[in-house]
Amino acid sequence: MNTLDLNQEGVEIKKSVCFFCHQNCGCNVYVKDGEIIHFEGDPEYMVNSGALCPRGNVNLIHLDHEARVNFPLKRKGPRGAGEWERITWEQAIEEVGAKLEEIRKDFGAEAVATAGGTSRTDDWARRRFMNLFGSPNGFHNAHLCWIPTFMVETAIYGWCPFEIDLGMSKCIVLWGQNPGASTFPEMSALSALKEKGLKIIVIDPRYTESAAKADLWIPLLPASDLALALAWINVIIYEGYADYDFAYEHCVGFDELTEHVEEYTPEWAAPLTGLNPELIREGAIMYATNKPGNIQWGVAVDQMGKPSGATMHARAILRAITGNLDCPGGDLLTGPSQEFITDEEMELNDALSEEQRAKQLGSDKFKLLTWPGYSRIAELTKNYWGKAPTAEWMCEAHPPTVYNAILTGEPYPVKALLVSATNPVNSYGESEKVLEALKEVDFLVTCDYWLTPTAMLSDYVFPIAGSFERPTITSTYGCSDFLMCSQRAIQPMYERRTDFEFWRDLGVSLGQKENWKWDTLEDAYFERIKDLGYGVDSYDEFVELYRFHFPERQYYKYLERGGFATPSGKVEIYSSVLEELGYPPLPEYIPPVENAIDHPELAKEYPLTLTTGAGINPFHHSEHFQIKELRFIRHEPYMEINPETAAEYGIKNEDWVWIETKRGRIKQKAKLTEGIGPGVIYTERGWWYPERDMRDPELGGCLESNTNVLTSVADENCDPITGTWANRGLLCKVYKVENSEVKGVE
Amino acid sequence: MSQKHGTWDWMLAVDFFFSGMGAAMLLFAGIAEFVLENGYLSTIGIFAGAIFIMIGSGILIFELGRPFQSWRVFMKPTTLMSFGAWNMTIAIGAGILLGTTWINLFPWFGIIWIRKILALVCIITGFIVAAYPGLLLAMNKARPFWTGSGMVVIFFVSSLLTGLAGYMVCGLFGDASPVIYGIFPYVAAGLCFLQLVVWISYILSKTSGISDREAITTERWIKGNYAAPFKIGVLLIGTVVPFILFVVPNLIVVVIASLLTILGGLIMRNLVIYAGQDRTWLPGEIEYRSKLPHGDEAFLQKVWTKKI
Amino acid sequence: MARYVMVIDTRKCIACHACTVACRVNNELPIDMIYNPVTTVGPEGKFPHLRMLHIPLLCMHCGNAPCVSVCPTGASIQRNDGIVWIDEKKCVSCKACIMACPYGARISNDQTGTVQKCDFCKDERVDQGFVPYCVQTCHQNARIFGDIEDTESEVFRLINTSKTKGRLLEDLGTEPGVYYLY
Repeated sequence: MNTLDLNQEGVEIKKSVCFFCHQNCGCNVYVKDGEIIHFEGDPEYMVNSGALCPRGNVNLIHLDHEARVNFPLKRKGPRGAGEWERITWEQAIEEVGAKLEEIRKDFGAEAVATAGGTSRTDDWARRRFMNLFGSPNGFHNAHLCWIPTFMVETAIYGWCPFEIDLGMSKCIVLWGQNPGASTFPEMSALSALKEKGLKIIVIDPRYTESAAKADLWIPLLPASDLALALAWINVIIYEGYADYDFAYEHCVGFDELTEHVEEYTPEWAAPLTGLNPELIREGAIMYATNKPGNIQWGVAVDQMGKPSGATMHARAILRAITGNLDCPGGDLLTGPSQEFITDEEMELNDALSEEQRAKQLGSDKFKLLTWPGYSRIAELTKNYWGKAPTAEWMCEAHPPTVYNAILTGEPYPVKALLVSATNPVNSYGESEKVLEALKEVDFLVTCDYWLTPTAMLSDYVFPIAGSFERPTITSTYGCSDFLMCSQRAIQPMYERRTDFEFWRDLGVSLGQKENWKWDTLEDAYFERIKDLGYGVDSYDEFVELYRFHFPERQYYKYLERGGFATPSGKVEIYSSVLEELGYPPLPEYIPPVENAIDHPELAKEYPLTLTTGAGINPFHHSEHFQIKELRFIRHEPYMEINPETAAEYGIKNEDWVWIETKRGRIKQKAKLTEGIGPGVIYTERGWWYPERDMRDPELGGCLESNTNVLTSVADENCDPITGTWANRGLLCKVYKVENSEVKGVE
Repeated sequence: MSQKHGTWDWMLAVDFFFSGMGAAMLLFAGIAEFVLENGYLSTIGIFAGAIFIMIGSGILIFELGRPFQSWRVFMKPTTLMSFGAWNMTIAIGAGILLGTTWINLFPWFGIIWIRKILALVCIITGFIVAAYPGLLLAMNKARPFWTGSGMVVIFFVSSLLTGLAGYMVCGLFGDASPVIYGIFPYVAAGLCFLQLVVWISYILSKTSGISDREAITTERWIKGNYAAPFKIGVLLIGTVVPFILFVVPNLIVVVIASLLTILGGLIMRNLVIYAGQDRTWLPGEIEYRSKLPHGDEAFLQKVWTKKI
Repeated sequence: MARYVMVIDTRKCIACHACTVACRVNNELPIDMIYNPVTTVGPEGKFPHLRMLHIPLLCMHCGNAPCVSVCPTGASIQRNDGIVWIDEKKCVSCKACIMACPYGARISNDQTGTVQKCDFCKDERVDQGFVPYCVQTCHQNARIFGDIEDTESEVFRLINTSKTKGRLLEDLGTEPGVYYLY
């Protein structure tokens, strides 16, 4: 250990952020002569107050890891053979641009699609490129992560209350969320508030890190959330806990709702959720009587497939009938920023013609997250707030439909896929199909830090600048009314560039020059903030002097603004937007996509209930498996099974087991735990093995332990409202991996 | 379970074994000087004693992380390990010198007072070196199998027994005092009996336990992975069988009995040393360590070469 | 005179292992060396009536440190402020301290032939007026570091006001300098 002199001459402290998840924890990065000599969590950054998670601590290892992609690569030899030619960024852009032009000419702009990952890219730039190029077929894993929630809730009460006023809250419901493994700053706040009396309710099939700290743990069966939500509504209305003033004065459809939920009693929900009716009641009463209270968004509800949309609707109703909306301590409807230029305003959505919008894949089936629903929502929010939600994320092609179009040419051919910041084979549903599509698509381009299995199959790979090499604006998918701004600590190493530069350069090569006037990402950011009135001359100056912009918090905006951003100006418990789009205006019960009651034949072969996809430390989605310092903490994938169930199937702790659904099977190691109910199986997400042979067909073992092999994206299993597919509430079976099959795993 | 903690292992067991045996041999040589008429036991035995301690300490040096810095262990004689190192060194010197007093090539051959002084040094240091390894282990409160005074008795008894055995084997190769095959077999038989009693009471006292953790750690000696080598190797072959053979008045049988006790002593020290790897595990620690990689996993071996 | 101690609030720890990684990265430890594991006890009980606890471990910087008293070379040292550390120049890895430590806090490094352990990051952090890396990185504030002799300090307050506290293996008489709240 050598003591480093950080006060030496020539050392600059850069206000940067960690970029390994979208918490974006602040970091002070010490730079000398263009090189980082040290970094630490920024004690003054309110998100992390100087702390860092395990991933945050490996920033410098990540920055110059031996496995990083540092130069633009062009495929030599067959796809997946791992033979690359290093070319310049300019050559790569020119060749990719020429190829896209050719495809546009032959098949139309819609034949070019783009796949994204988590919100760790400047995707207003991607959208801007796609709009100008003329393709409506951009997509992310948006459908699995918050976006459906945002859109359903906005349909009900005009915005999504993702800002929770926790400091004054008396109760929080963590509904399918485990901040103890995924959102550490939130967890820290919860622990501190719990000491002061905050009630914490955790709804989760697993006894998670967060459940262990909760006042009440409700271990429902996977994807039975809708039954629980409806039963809660029933209890709150019929046992007299509703906020009747709010429900009658500010909502439409309360009477219809009362009638609608009459039969949804806790006793009705008990067999569907696997819960004791008294526990259901206790939870409902705890939430309804400890006011103000919050229901925190959790990813679980976004990932149930068919019942997802109705569950979000029911959850939104819970907030409304308890009067927990936009009040001090409640779930706040902040609206988009009135002050700075939002992501949506950077996207040039008007550039995409009606004709091209109509071609968006999946928009005929799943209407809320595609142009039909988004247009309506945008119209309502523009009328009310003056601005619309970000179109990138909120209005996207349906990913499984795009992969299907690649494979079948139906409804029209998709010939090129531009992949940025995602490894679709591990992140999207039904991996075997996704992998097939990645191999099938004519032209595949990947922008990434690493040679992921997807990158290995690509024609071109672009090296992307990461943490500390790029400035960052943190603004909740461009939908927050606040901004948190951070600067780059160093210029990108090697020939890496930001994803913004990728889209800009590609756009310029395709004749979009007049629409890309910014030399740097900082220039683009500055345009967004320059009218905030801080009197700064550059983005970096803003970061160094102010860094944050938080508008004054306003409560009860609906009183001042004359209602909510809905057609009726009220909270639409009975949703006219959903009704217009052809969906039930009140949430009707929909069972998990596969379950023993409705599918007795399937349950004979696959008798166990599966939940997949919970976050695991120290990884983020399918990332960071290369980093030994993290992998050492958890180097193998584990599935969880109750000891009782394990005994039934002859499975012992640490056995490798197959987990199989109708779609395929994967192997993970068994962890026997009481933390999951009998008959329920949980698998870890994301796993691939970068240490293995990365060439096709091994591809880093990307299917072997990959939980998405098990999930279902069939149209009939997707939520008709939002198109989200089913990662949870599936039927599966488990059995021991024979010794002869273990090879290759260990 | 990942053993990256680096605990004492077979090298230390072998060190303790040879040092204990050699030290007991010097102890006996020293006593012989004062109780036997001519003070003579066995020249080769005395040298063997000193050499055994040398072998033991040599192995100990290689057991160190930095063998060339081994002189540092002499730096704090107030610590038991440092004190032991000093005593081993003095014992080796005194033993070799004592041996030379019985060889007429050396000018001090036959000078009684020199012999007496050296013998006294051998008695003191021999006693210490024969007993201190047990004490060294016994002082470790963190190791439930070792902690307590019983370990000192066990090591001392075994050292005495193997020391006697050492003389009985060495006697084959040179001049030997009649006591070596006259009285020693009976004393050895007595020590075998004592060893049996000491071990049984030790295990019983551990299981009826001062603490739960002592009882838990002793389980492996009764029915776990140490049970067979302990019961067959240490108790039967290393103690009970030689106990019977020692009373058979036959040179070959007595030598065989001696070799068996030596074998038993070696096994015993290995078992005892490895039993020290059972620390008092902290809550959740076993589970945590069992999930850590061993070191040969592919992800750890993987070398990426910055080529792209 | 200062006496540095750590208070660990197990009610807050979520076993994210940030402390383990922060320690490893900042102290440049070999990949297989961990000064401060975080163990998990449980879930205990029968579904759905469970409890679970995470226990961050590290060198306890004992008031009566057995590792220091057994060290034959004088490499293991305790400062007046309670920090136990190893002068690697003097250590020959005889492992007496490893065997003496009840907390598994000491690890032999095959590469250097010396024993290593947590020293509360004394050189880079504590002596410069900062808290150790594991404390700095803990976003749950589960690790609290300070001087127990200072009656104004948070550790003093926590240790003297909490009713549910304990130290590990207190019966061994080591006087650990790490206190657990539960």
